[in-house]
Amino acid sequence: MADLTRTRTVAFRRPRLRLRPGQTGAAVAGAVLLVAVAACLLAPLLWPLDQSAVALDRIRLAPSWAHPAGTDELGRDVAHRALYGLRVSLLVGAVAALVATVIGGIVGGIAGAVGGWVDRILMRIVDTVAALPHLLLGIFIVGMLRPSLGAVIASIGLTHWLSTARIVRSELLSLRNRPFVDAAITGGASRRRVLTRHLLPHVLPRLALAITLMIPHAVWHETALSFLGLGLPPHLASLGNMINDGQGSLLAGAWWASLAPGAVIVVVTLAIAVLAAHWRDRLDPRVRAELQL
Amino acid sequence: MSGTAGQLAAEQVTAGYGRQIVLDRVDLRIGRGETVGLRAASGGGKSTLVRVLALLHRPDRGRVTIDGAPVTGTRYSVPVAVRTRIAVLFQSPRAAADPRLSLADLIAEPLRATRRPDDEIRRRVADLADLVGLTADLLGRRPHAVSDGQLQRACLARALTHRPDYLLCDEATAMLDASTQAHVAAVITDYQRTHRAGVLLVTHDPALMNRWADRVVDLPPSGVVPGRP
Amino acid sequence: MKTDQSVTAERPAGIASLVDPQRPGGPGPVLDVQGLGVRFRLRDATVHAVTDLTLGVHPGELLAVVGESGCGKSVLAHALLGLLPRNATVTGQARLHQLDDGPVDLVTCGERVLAGRVRGRLAGLVPQSPATALNPVRTGRRLIEETLRAHRHTRAEAVGAAERVAAEVGLDVADLDRYPHELSGGMAQRLVTALALAPDPVLLIADEPTSGLDRPLVDHTLDLLRRRCDGGKSVVLITHDLAAAERVADTVAVMYASRVVEHRPARRFFTAPAHPYGAALLDALPDRAFRPVPGHPPMLTALPPGCAFGTRCPYATDVCERQPRLAAYDAGAVACHHPIGAGVVS
Repeated sequence: MADLTRTRTVAFRRPRLRLRPGQTGAAVAGAVLLVAVAACLLAPLLWPLDQSAVALDRIRLAPSWAHPAGTDELGRDVAHRALYGLRVSLLVGAVAALVATVIGGIVGGIAGAVGGWVDRILMRIVDTVAALPHLLLGIFIVGMLRPSLGAVIASIGLTHWLSTARIVRSELLSLRNRPFVDAAITGGASRRRVLTRHLLPHVLPRLALAITLMIPHAVWHETALSFLGLGLPPHLASLGNMINDGQGSLLAGAWWASLAPGAVIVVVTLAIAVLAAHWRDRLDPRVRAELQL
Repeated sequence: MSGTAGQLAAEQVTAGYGRQIVLDRVDLRIGRGETVGLRAASGGGKSTLVRVLALLHRPDRGRVTIDGAPVTGTRYSVPVAVRTRIAVLFQSPRAAADPRLSLADLIAEPLRATRRPDDEIRRRVADLADLVGLTADLLGRRPHAVSDGQLQRACLARALTHRPDYLLCDEATAMLDASTQAHVAAVITDYQRTHRAGVLLVTHDPALMNRWADRVVDLPPSGVVPGRP
Repeated sequence: MKTDQSVTAERPAGIASLVDPQRPGGPGPVLDVQGLGVRFRLRDATVHAVTDLTLGVHPGELLAVVGESGCGKSVLAHALLGLLPRNATVTGQARLHQLDDGPVDLVTCGERVLAGRVRGRLAGLVPQSPATALNPVRTGRRLIEETLRAHRHTRAEAVGAAERVAAEVGLDVADLDRYPHELSGGMAQRLVTALALAPDPVLLIADEPTSGLDRPLVDHTLDLLRRRCDGGKSVVLITHDLAAAERVADTVAVMYASRVVEHRPARRFFTAPAHPYGAALLDALPDRAFRPVPGHPPMLTALPPGCAFGTRCPYATDVCERQPRLAAYDAGAVACHHPIGAGVVS
């Protein structure tokens, strides 16, 4: 059937309702993400913020028209700071996700492409690291280095590479035994050519997806570290830092100080996750149909 | 013995996967210009034998010789001069074609892998497409947009790019309709005549075997095999 | 002495006459397809996969639908089973009879009717890749039992049936308790066949059920289908393997470029094909002339107005620029202006 149509075969017997929520979810998530990213990019132009400005006459004001999410313990507008916090969190999350995916891609790539005892050793390392609770491991790493931007990125990178390694490795292992690889070898292709011309192009789309899926994890990890006071330095106000700072206000009865940054994290990471899942679902059956094995 | 020139042979090959042996001291000889049929039960190791002869699988014991000289290396470590003399045609064209490449790129790939000049590649692809009956508009398409028969023809063209002396067909027509099968057989037989190529034909179809093979070798289900040429 | 063939212009009313009179047929067809058409809307073209298809299948009949790959026969199977993609448009009728309360039109009935009344009566065997068709966290036995339970059998019936149908397809009882990933390709194929047969469907549509199998398993599966028909059930076997069709079919329908061009009792077709394409296809067999059909079939996106086989046909004349219609001919029907044997004085 794949040579006649380009859409996925859908059995009419599957209840139709199942298709619609999936699509509206992705559409909503896409819209939310678009707004969030646009806001982040335009923030310095439209809503410039002076990080050091304080207004001690407006401490802990409840949400109002002037301050939609209230003010914090130093009189700063929470919503405004949350927007900038999102910029920081997303940037750190994206860079860290990239680092994690690159590490995982290299480890998984070597394991999958070389195979044999190299594969076995690398996978035992993966299993060992996976056995440790990753947040504790992340705290340990940050504790070893001085708390800084670099330490946070290292912490995320070194704990989140595992799933990517496994994905890349399994993809390579399954591809290596396919007849089209054999056909390339009998045609005279060198190992390097098979890797770069035939195997990698199949793995790269999955890697791009892996990075995207990793971003929410990275953001949450950074948020958790910052909340514990082990994350980014306070002058880099991420959403995690803000939630941490908001604890004092919470105890003083100002519940809004942590609410806005918290809500922003949840909504944005959820949007990314929904979109990435939607992408993954669309990627898989088509790939399988095209390979038709 | 004289007469080892012009043949591809497996000598006392024992091979398997891990602890499971599927070939036990098997001898098989394919001479240039002849078509050898291989018959075996499913799981009887015929695909493994094809892969050993194609230098894709290292036998645990025994060796592959070409024109009497043993071949060193398997997979990537086979010298190019030997590689280009042996070609394989697989059963499932869909599995044997990289879904991302157009048919033209598919056929050109072995030439690109051995770094032939571009204009030579263009000419060869056009000639080969003509040989197997693929029209120009099909060449630009990707595997999902062509039928199994057309794709297998492209794979046949790919197999013939290096003008191999030996062509190993592993159930290559099992998934094709009768007309395409007859066409593929005609192309291969023609090529055999002009290049004095040896063909190994692995098939379940007794009618096809009778019609096409010069002689038939039976591979018993992996047990003790008295070496048979 | 003139033979009694004559080519008439009207469409044959029913195909009941095609069923070998020695096999007991029911009072009417199990499946009655009239003017079925399937089109796919692509971005820049329309694919006419099935055009104006009319045929019937009777109880005890094994119909083989043969043709080159890409002629539309697989689409026919998917259309009858309701497995077409979203960009497909289906016209015509496909009535399934022998149901508890009245016939059902597979084309127009909705999801609920399919699930409630048709499932179990009509089964499809579309084993493109059995590995993906089997639930990996269920053993074979559980899969069969669940299938039967879904078709309103009792628990007691379901438990015994699994072993019975496994024996029928040649699957070892021990293999029933394995998970799909522990089965070889051939065993997985057999399990998928068992799943299709478990609810004992009145009509089974098998799309290339033997592709990729070795000869003994091919023969075994074909004989299995034959036994079902001998027992009064019906099978539509879609295949490009003419030898398989010759082995077990009662009737043969030849498809070319989305149409049925010949529909005759199997014995008649294999000894005296009427349509030039059917004859050329048989000539391609290795135990006959082993000669490929010259030329290429037309793209389903660009079908000519006249006979689609015209450019490749040795008997073509000007009249072939008019689309030939399926007309009664020698115990069956053929769509050709110059059927082989017409007007031959013997």
